Amino acid sequence: MEQAGETQAKDKEVAAGGDEMGKEIKKLKVLVAVDESEGSLYALSWFLDHLFFTQDGEVDQIFLIHVQQPFQPFVYPSGPSVFATTSVIDSVRKAQKQNSEALIARAVQICRNKLKEIKVQTVITDGEPKDVICHAIEQMNIDLAVVGSRGLGTFKRAFLGSVSDYCAHHAKCPILIVKPPQKLHQQEVHPHQ
Amino acid sequence: MAAETVMVVGMDESEHSQYAFHWTIEHFFSNSNSSSIFKLVVVHAKPSPTSSFALAGPGAIDVIPYIDFDLKKTASRIIEHAKTFCENKSVDNVHFEIVEGDPRSVLCDSVERHKADMLIVGSHGYGTFKRAVLGSVSDYCAHHAHCSVMIVKKPKSNH
Repeated sequence: MEQAGETQAKDKEVAAGGDEMGKEIKKLKVLVAVDESEGSLYALSWFLDHLFFTQDGEVDQIFLIHVQQPFQPFVYPSGPSVFATTSVIDSVRKAQKQNSEALIARAVQICRNKLKEIKVQTVITDGEPKDVICHAIEQMNIDLAVVGSRGLGTFKRAFLGSVSDYCAHHAKCPILIVKPPQKLHQQEVHPHQ
Repeated sequence: MAAETVMVVGMDESEHSQYAFHWTIEHFFSNSNSSSIFKLVVVHAKPSPTSSFALAGPGAIDVIPYIDFDLKKTASRIIEHAKTFCENKSVDNVHFEIVEGDPRSVLCDSVERHKADMLIVGSHGYGTFKRAVLGSVSDYCAHHAHCSVMIVKKPKSNH
């Protein structure tokens, strides 16, 4: 069923190519970065709500990337209590892997709930999130990257976390930074008038 | 069921913002039904004549009308180009604005006024130092706009 949809979209593309170039259909390769924060899952659902098309074959697949922070066995407190044996490292890694997979599964579920025919490809990697995301963007020829942002404080305006800031400056493709909704901002008292 | 998504695009004379504008139109407005899904607002921030130069001297007041005229001409040229491009691509749910003032506050203000869901800006791709010295509108907007922000960069030519 999915394949039939794909060939239909492709036919449309070919037909449109015969028209004037104004009606070209461009397939967008989108990468959404997810982590444990609510901001990134909100970013994913916001993007799917507002900017995702399947009817005309504009975007029909979406890439999700989750970057695990590497577990550092050397940062353990140097007391008599704990030091990282290989079994400890293994179990932490395993727990981490389980967390990542649960998170990705949750993200995929969000995608499927919004749009049933969507194709989701997932990537789970290790490393420093900002570098890995920018590297992935280059390697996979991503056209648009979507990142969330932590909204901090009610009186302060929301500002970007370091990963979204870094990606906004260094990624080679357009970046969409989705901010969480400003629920309480409107109730701010303005003392200076 | 989707309400209209309102997008504000910030434009100035630079190639980068032209590229951002073209990118937006090509990727989101190439469908025939896009006019019902998206509303596009193109905002050009026209610098006020006094801010774009610093003149001290007896003739300063007389020069201002000329500079203002020149800025107005640039602004209308930019908007005309945007209008033509939109017509060529059959984008009709679009609104054009020229607002005087500092680009940062103008763009954030338009977002509030139009209750935009998204702000799209280009980026000069300055490095950290240049960005700190020259200031960056895209940075400011990314931090202070009350909506999602898309920063579109013109890809550097490969050497």
